[in-house]
Amino acid sequence: MDWLVKNRDVPGCSAALGAARLSSPDPHPRNRPNRGSGLGRRDLLRVVAAFIADHVLPRRGSAKSFQDYSKPRHHAVIVTFGGGCRYQDTLAPEGWPNIPHITQDLVPQSFLYPAAFNQGITGHFNSSAALITGNWQYVDSFGSEPPRTPTLFECLRKERKLPPEETWVIATNKSFSLIGASGERQFGAPYSANVILPKQLLLEAIHQAVSAEKGPGVEDREAFYKQMLSALDEGYESYGWKVHPSKHNLDEPLKASLEKALLDFFNDPRVPSSGDELTFFMAKEVMARFAPALMLVNFWDIDIAHYGSYSLYLQAIERTDRLVWELWQTVQASPEFRDRTTMFVIPEVGRDGDVHGNGFANHRSGDDSCRRVWLLACGEAAPKRAGAERPIRHIDIAPTVGAILGCKLPEAQGQPLLELAI
Amino acid sequence: MEIYAGLEPEAKQLVHEHSEVVARLPLTFLVFTLVDIRKWSSLFQPEQRYFRALFEQLSAFDNPQFESVFGDLSHFEVKVGCERARAADPMTARAELENSLRSKGAYAEWRSRIDAIFEKLEPLLDARLYAPSDLGPRLVVMIYGQGVAIERETLWKRFREAAVRVPLSLGAAQTTAPFLAELFTGLPPSAAANAAPTLFQALAWSKGYSPLDSWIIEAGDGLHALCEQKAREINGAPGVTGVSYDRLRAYRERLSDAIYSKVTSANLAGPLELEAWLETLDAKPQEGFTLHSAPVVLDFVRDILVLGGNGSLIINNSFVEWSSVRALERAHPRVLVARFGVRDKLKPFSSLLLFSKPRSSDVIPMMEDPLGSFVDVELLSYYIWLKSSLALPYKGQTMYVLAAEGVDEVMVVPPGGPATASEPKETAKPPVSEPASLSDVAATMAEWLGTRFAHSPGKPLATLLA
Repeated sequence: MDWLVKNRDVPGCSAALGAARLSSPDPHPRNRPNRGSGLGRRDLLRVVAAFIADHVLPRRGSAKSFQDYSKPRHHAVIVTFGGGCRYQDTLAPEGWPNIPHITQDLVPQSFLYPAAFNQGITGHFNSSAALITGNWQYVDSFGSEPPRTPTLFECLRKERKLPPEETWVIATNKSFSLIGASGERQFGAPYSANVILPKQLLLEAIHQAVSAEKGPGVEDREAFYKQMLSALDEGYESYGWKVHPSKHNLDEPLKASLEKALLDFFNDPRVPSSGDELTFFMAKEVMARFAPALMLVNFWDIDIAHYGSYSLYLQAIERTDRLVWELWQTVQASPEFRDRTTMFVIPEVGRDGDVHGNGFANHRSGDDSCRRVWLLACGEAAPKRAGAERPIRHIDIAPTVGAILGCKLPEAQGQPLLELAI
Repeated sequence: MEIYAGLEPEAKQLVHEHSEVVARLPLTFLVFTLVDIRKWSSLFQPEQRYFRALFEQLSAFDNPQFESVFGDLSHFEVKVGCERARAADPMTARAELENSLRSKGAYAEWRSRIDAIFEKLEPLLDARLYAPSDLGPRLVVMIYGQGVAIERETLWKRFREAAVRVPLSLGAAQTTAPFLAELFTGLPPSAAANAAPTLFQALAWSKGYSPLDSWIIEAGDGLHALCEQKAREINGAPGVTGVSYDRLRAYRERLSDAIYSKVTSANLAGPLELEAWLETLDAKPQEGFTLHSAPVVLDFVRDILVLGGNGSLIINNSFVEWSSVRALERAHPRVLVARFGVRDKLKPFSSLLLFSKPRSSDVIPMMEDPLGSFVDVELLSYYIWLKSSLALPYKGQTMYVLAAEGVDEVMVVPPGGPATASEPKETAKPPVSEPASLSDVAATMAEWLGTRFAHSPGKPLATLLA
């Protein structure tokens, strides 16, 4: 098989694990929360948030009251460490300082595949679609077409007769509107995942704010928060979201959850402002409210590399590393998810090499650096402190997740990763 | 199919002169070549020479040679069904072919066949294009402007195996203006520097360099100011082509406004439509050029900012790197100076909205990012070296000088440096142990290029020229 590319530089899994043990415990003090001013106002907002959360919103418990389907026992979360990052800037030894949480916190409790290959189109949509269909996709790179073959979401929902709220895509990339379902006639929209694009909501609110010459604009976080709530009120469908109403009248709980996510985002002491951070808060709320069986969380900040600033690219990698770790902590903190969830973390694409490609700013050369990434699996199905050096492919993820969740992907080219407990 | 539509007369004439071989070319190769030559007047002379040589070489092939170079691609096009599209012009034809290849999952395979063709063609073209006399000495100077937070322990680390570190005694040249003046005139600030020409003027007078033979590409405008000053004092032309990101501010803002209006308009279907619109956007810079500003340079700047991507419109150092790489690839200057600066930090929230402008009511000021800028320029300067050092006319013919304003050392990659970029080798040059002056470095650069600063106290550093 010609995809079994020789990689002289692939470190053994044991080497990666060894390095994780040797690294210092906290080399990134800059990630510590920034205790800024305005705590009084934030305290007030937190009280409001707590009130909304505890007294107004329906909880998972009450949602169960109208549950008329057999909820899957297992959960899977697929995370694209995304926007495209190079092996050399992440999992290679020189990249370890950029991903302290993965190397020190996650690798020791994960199964690591240090050589995962994207053999398809190295654009974001097609690469991510390959992850959730088990097939290389060759559709429009900017997301104007759905994947050609059935997605995990459709197969799971159809086979297990699950409602829309069991499958979600929460994506920073604005072109992911149609990634929740394929164009296959026997699947498609009736079995689609709910797709929400938090950054689009953010961008719309920023656009509104900067269009007016007067007013607090985006610099007053509280005013901007209200602006985003107002934007949410106007209907999220206009931002490209595809939320599929079910007979359980999903809209109100969802809207309330997203409002809570916005509140958390604006009140966070680290003063987050990136698309991925909002994606994280919304993913967290969707998990808390709906405990879905399957989620695709698409991070995308790293694609800022297209600006040509290596330092901004490295900062985005560090932020994604932190968000992945916090997402895993969210899984661990939830009785619904803990011990029943397998999380897969994989860059959907690499970026061009310096010598044989066009450099870190792009991911179009198709060179090895652009295609070779890594996969980390942690949780229920993943043996801990272990790994396999054999090359795997992006299209192997979907059949693996299908096997964990108990559904088949009839058209998948990929093969389940048998090192995992499936 | 009207794939010849829109070609400028010189391009049409070239195609006509080689019509026999043009008719035999695989469709994708032909269409992509036509796109490259269609705006003939926007090509630099080395590019025009290249395409003439390409067509002459193609016409010179006999049948077996032609089949050996293009047979594989021709068979591939038949296999995947590349058909003569009904496109109205080469640009549309290219877009249709690309879309077709991508949708069939054949793009990567096609790309590898194109690469294989050029692997066969390039040596033949190099032989046609470069006589030994064309491969004269070249100089690339990369400067980190004042304000970039230099970390001395890691400074120029990517060059360490290929370069020689030269300690400097800066004297009074501690800040931008005197530093640049001494480096490019050979006279220290204490001397009567006013009457001294710049390196670019010296080369124009003594070696007959045209302004397109010497380029300055900078984030700020310190070198522009120096060249303007010297042109006034000596009452002569600056002798250099100059592009300054700072001085292009008004033009950049006009472009950003136009693009922002387009992307926020309701009638834009998607990125491909935006790309097509940008191709047709007729907005050449009219301001910001005080040095050489030939139409081909204005077209170059427009292409860098509008079509170049890579953050050129947004980040000053990306502009410097990308412009430098493209200038070296396209215009083949004998001297290029790339001067980086400090980039601004991205503002929270509003920076997410590409091409939007700060509002007059915004209160958060723009802030600089000196540390991030250092990380950026360390890699970007490496890319300029990497992309140019492997190809003619620069390979083995170029001295690379890395300097940082106010820093008492420079790094020099002597001519004949590494054989391959991926495997840098020791250049076997003995290290320079005695501190040199910037005048010495200036004299070394001038000596390498075959000229001298008449009144400079600087002495060429023999170890770098040996």
